[in-house]
Amino acid sequence: MDYHKTIYIKNAVYLAVLTILEVGVSYLDISKTGQIGVLLSLAVIKMLLVAMIYMHLRYETKTLKWILFLPILAGLYFAFGVIYDLPFRWVV
Amino acid sequence: MNQNRTQALEVNDPFGKASTGKLGMWLFIIIDGLSFAGLIIAGVALRASSEYWPMAGEVLNIPLTAFNTFLLICTSFTMVIALNCIQKGDQSGLKRFLGLTMIGGMIFLGIQTYEYSHFIKVGFFPSTSIYAAIFYITTCFHGLHVLSGVIYIACILRMASLNAYSADNWDHVEILGLFWHFVDLVWILVFTIIYLI
Repeated sequence: MDYHKTIYIKNAVYLAVLTILEVGVSYLDISKTGQIGVLLSLAVIKMLLVAMIYMHLRYETKTLKWILFLPILAGLYFAFGVIYDLPFRWVV
Repeated sequence: MNQNRTQALEVNDPFGKASTGKLGMWLFIIIDGLSFAGLIIAGVALRASSEYWPMAGEVLNIPLTAFNTFLLICTSFTMVIALNCIQKGDQSGLKRFLGLTMIGGMIFLGIQTYEYSHFIKVGFFPSTSIYAAIFYITTCFHGLHVLSGVIYIACILRMASLNAYSADNWDHVEILGLFWHFVDLVWILVFTIIYLI
């Protein structure tokens, strides 16, 4: 079997295992904050696996990677802004 | 003179060998990703300001959707194998794996429709609560992306059946793959935030 196919198969197995782990963690009786942290970390790992291996992002140039990465920072900035604003929103 | 100029451009090109079509798809993915980010951030903000929010699995069917997630991962795999096949000039492999990807996408949509029909039967409408509205808007927006992807695959499959692609001409298949993997990538986040957290 060729090198790339082996990597694609391994990646699919990793993604499937991580999905099973995610479902398992969602049923665990642990603190909500810890659960959210673990679940989001697993989701980010899965997204990186899809982007790097299946979307071949690891073979792209640094410029393209930066162009794709900067909007993620913008999204996080907006998320932080909205969530930071929440405690003040309902104050009359 | 012209040849030298072309070589210089290739060396200094900040996007390497990426075609304009591929760059266009990446730009579309950025914009579409921010649309999803808007929906997800709005959902998180509404949830944070809500007094009651159902626990994971209390309303939504996690095992069924976990299967759907697994199915979407499998279609990402078949899509990348389809590209791998045509890069080697394997026409029948391209058609076979594109077909499998399309079938996987249709099964995903079928399961989502089944889930919606079940919820509607038990009175869980988009107007039932903020939770229901967020669930329907986010998953439906993603579902429309899957539907677009299935139609897009059908178009490329039609071209493939006319032997339009070869070992030297697979740009369209790669661009389609980028879109399909993006749909999978977004679902990973939607599944985690809407269903599991």
